[in-house]
Order: sequence, then C-alpha cells, then structure tokens
Amino acid sequence: MAKYISVLLDDKRMDAIKGSDLENKIDKMFGGQLNAFTLELSDAKAKEIMDAFFTARVDSRSFITDVPIAFSRTLFAEIAKTKSLGDDVIDAVLTQVDEIKEAAAKESEFLPTPVL
Amino acid sequence: MAMIETPPPHGGRLVERVVTDPEMGKKLAKKCDAVYDIKPALSDGVPIRNVYREIMSICYGFFSPVEGSMTKAEVDRILKERRLLNEWVFPYPLVFDITEEELKDLGVTAGDKLLLRLKGKPFATLDIEEIWRIDNPEELAHKTFGTPEDNPEVVQEAFNAKMPGWVIYKSLNPVVLAGKYTIINEPKLTPPFDRFWYPPRKSREEYARRGWRTVINHQTRNVPHIGHEFLMKDAAYTGDIEPCHGIQVNAIIGVKRAGDYPDEAIIEGHEAVNLGGYIKPERHLVTFTLWDMRYGNPLEAMLHGIIRQNMGCTHHMFGRDHAAVGEYYDMFATQTLYSKGIPSYGFPVSINDVPYGLKIRPQNMREFWYCPVCNEIAYSECCGHTKEKQKFSGSFVRGMVAEGIFPPKVIFRPEVYKVIVKWWDKFGYPFCNAKYVKEKEVRLEVDLPDMDV
Ligand SMILES: [Zn+2]
Repeated sequence: MAKYISVLLDDKRMDAIKGSDLENKIDKMFGGQLNAFTLELSDAKAKEIMDAFFTARVDSRSFITDVPIAFSRTLFAEIAKTKSLGDDVIDAVLTQVDEIKEAAAKESEFLPTPVL
Repeated sequence: MAMIETPPPHGGRLVERVVTDPEMGKKLAKKCDAVYDIKPALSDGVPIRNVYREIMSICYGFFSPVEGSMTKAEVDRILKERRLLNEWVFPYPLVFDITEEELKDLGVTAGDKLLLRLKGKPFATLDIEEIWRIDNPEELAHKTFGTPEDNPEVVQEAFNAKMPGWVIYKSLNPVVLAGKYTIINEPKLTPPFDRFWYPPRKSREEYARRGWRTVINHQTRNVPHIGHEFLMKDAAYTGDIEPCHGIQVNAIIGVKRAGDYPDEAIIEGHEAVNLGGYIKPERHLVTFTLWDMRYGNPLEAMLHGIIRQNMGCTHHMFGRDHAAVGEYYDMFATQTLYSKGIPSYGFPVSINDVPYGLKIRPQNMREFWYCPVCNEIAYSECCGHTKEKQKFSGSFVRGMVAEGIFPPKVIFRPEVYKVIVKWWDKFGYPFCNAKYVKEKEVRLEVDLPDMDV
C-alpha cells in the first residue's frame, strides 16, 4: 500500500517556492486554511525512512509521521532546491541522514519557540 | 417526565480525610511511631508513579469510597470481581508499597501510625492495619489489567513493558502497608493548578451554585484542538429535557510520558477555550484530578466514571480507545463496559446496571473530523464524505506544532495555541521531554506549609 508524507507550508515556505511549478502542486487542507505538499512514496523509499528514524510511524491515513523536525526541514529545503516531489528528493535527504540524526538528538532537549 | 438529578457519591458518601486545622494536624503528627519520606517510583530511572497523588485523590474524595492503602483481602477481591470489600465496584488495587529494607528501618507493625513527609514536610498519616507482601508483582500486573485468555471480550494482546500501567504494578515494592490515609498538613496547589482545584465537595457546591442540574464530563490529557472542542459541545446536547447545563473538563494530571503536552499547557489550553468564548465560561469549568494514568481503557473508564460521579457529574463522554495506549484492548472496550458489560471483569451487564455500580450516564461518542464538503467540523456518524474527510490526527497536529507552524483556526483556536507557546517558552520545549518528566516529579503540583513537629 502506498505511503505518504506531508510537508506543511507556512508563509515563509510559500515565499521560497513562489513562481515555480510547485505552486500548482499545493494541496489545500482543512478548507484551504492549510497548505501542504503530499509526497507519495514507493514502498522502498518508505521503508528506508522508517529504518533510518526509529521514532517514525505510519498513521491511520498511511502518512509517515513523527520523523525528526530536522528531517522535515531538510526535506523542504531539498524540495525548494530541486523543485521536485519525487523519490529523488527523498534520496537527497537520506544522503544527509547522519547530520539529521545529529540534529535530531538535540531536538529531544530543545526546540526554539516560534515567534508569534 | 423524570428529570435527571445530581447522582450520590460512589459508595453513598464523600470520603474527606483532610485535617484543615494545623494545630490538630500537628497533634496527629506527633502521635506517629515512624516517619517516611515519599518519593517517586522509578523504572529504569524514569518516574512512573508518585503515591502522593493517590493519597490526595483518596483523602479529597475523588476515589470515594476508598479510604486508604488496600488490605490483601481487598486487593484480591478487586482482582477477582472488581469490587471493594464493601461491595462497591472499583477497578484498581491502590497500595502503599515499600521495600523490605525500608520496613526494617521503620520498625513498624500493624497498629502503628506512620507519618508521611512530602518535599521534606509533614503531609499525611497512614494508620497501619495490616502489613502484607506482594509475592509476584508481574502476576499482580497481569491480573490487574487482564490477559487475552482470561478476558477475551476486550483484551487482544498480553500486556508488557510498553504499557505504563502494567509497568507501575510490575514495579511495586514487595511490602504493602495497608490502612487509612489522613492528610494532616493541607497542601497548597501551585500555579497554574491552584485555580483549577475542585475536589468533589467543592465541585458539587459550585454546580449547585451555578444551577447546573446536569453536567457532562470531558476526560482529557491533551491540549484541546477543534475536534475536542466540537466533541465537548456536541456531546453536551445530551441531557434530559434540555442539553446538559454544564461541561466539566477534568484533566488527569500526573506522571507524563515523553511526547505528551505539559500539564500546565493542557489545563490552561482548556481554559483558553472558555476565555476565548468558544464555550462560554458560564457553561464550562476546567478541573483536574491527580493520578498517574494506568491506561487501562475499560478499567480506567470505570475509574473515570467514579471520579466524575463523585464530582457531581450526571454524564460522561467516552470515545474509542478511551485512555488506551497501543492495541492491547479492543478499541470499543470502554463502550462495551458501559453498554452490555464485561463478564470476565465481573460485570455480566452494564456497569450502570450491576448492584453497587455507577450512576453516571455514559455518552459514547465516535469521531469528529473536518469535512470540506459539509464545510464544517462533522460527526463521523453524520458526514457521508468519508473520502474527503480530514482527520485531526494527534501525531499530525504534534508534528505541525513541533515545526513551529502557526496552526490554522480550523485546527487550534489561536488562544489555545498561544498557551502552548507560552509553556514552550518556559520549558524550552513544546512537549514533555526527559528533563520535564524528571523535574515535574521534584516540583510536583503542591507545596506544603511549614509544620514544626
Ligand atoms: Zn461531509
């Protein structure tokens, strides 16, 4: 069964993809109140993510969740760079798995408070 | 037509074992034969339970008619029939457990009075009626929650170390001092908990003052998102000849697991729902009970019914996977307890229909989700757009919070999200991490006045 991963887009991220084809691939969630990309993953890629991060799980909607924040951030950075939503983006993120794990280790202690 | 009235406390009368006169408390403390300093129980160095919360909930009447640490005969009866020796239904053994070395140091025997200190100050006494031994805590843990073989109606998987309640019972010390507790030095609840402290006598008085004849309880250990808010609002349409007059939120405050929201954010987050006017304060009261969750789904739901009936509620919302973790229990186990009963736990009919059972009425609810077609927060049993629906998945919402993305109004009310950020700023983290879990058990939810003994 297909697995998915969601990349949420706030105003800052929307700015970063402005003018690209990606703008046509935005999913409107919750009646248009939340923007996101939905990446469909091959079984092999989903398994690679699950194997790399022990906190990761698949929720009732078949979405992979509970990945490190650093993973989500890197994933968006790669999407913004390559303007792609395919397996190649996941491959690019997984080449940085050591750095992500290092950042994730600190994430369990501290996360910066968002500016309201 | 019969209108629903406030139910009597479970057991017929509220237990109140709190000495409010400090001079009298001091006298009682002086009569004690030995002194014991309460500390959190640990598993692999992580706090899993603090018996002080049980003493508070027992002495202030949340667990009426339980009055203390249970004797062996009482624990045996609970494990066999889920009843106290006085016949009233009750789900869990509650004991004051110590090590053999501690017993030796205390040198107490049945008939002695033990002074319990908390944060280094006199807190409560335990009148020792019986000293008994737990021979096999793992067996006790299995008997407490059940097994797939013995409780096939509701238990799907054998409990293990991933189930916090099972770990609590498996980690009990071998010696039980059984007897009644009395709080002899009244603790002061610390902010922000102080303004939400409504022990059963006080909550009953408050509902009478407000003219709330019918009150529905919402169980929580979460910061409320919009799905929770609509559950509260819509479940409250039950009642009798009119919707319930009041909605009581009762948060379970106790040992936390990593990834939970901090208790401070949970309780103020619920308050933000009424301060923002989404459920006006005249109709909504936020309260809490001190208890280290056992995650026993139908058993926890029995305890929830007892607590909220004692607090004066007429109705109680129950959802799927109520107070559950993992997939040990059938997701409808709680609803089964309150509808047809669970014979293997001793209830061949609904827990409301057995002798010495509960009077609080269940309101068994399904799910709420956002539906873009209905263009509203929809009830799963109404909305037919199962393909388009968007669920409030807990992990999805937590992920959004952790990434620092300001949630849309359709997920969190802005006032509620600001409460999350307020405590995030204070603790350096939006959820409970190892540091929070550890520090919480030092800080606790109370301070104790000086008492010179
Ligand atoms: Zn719909």
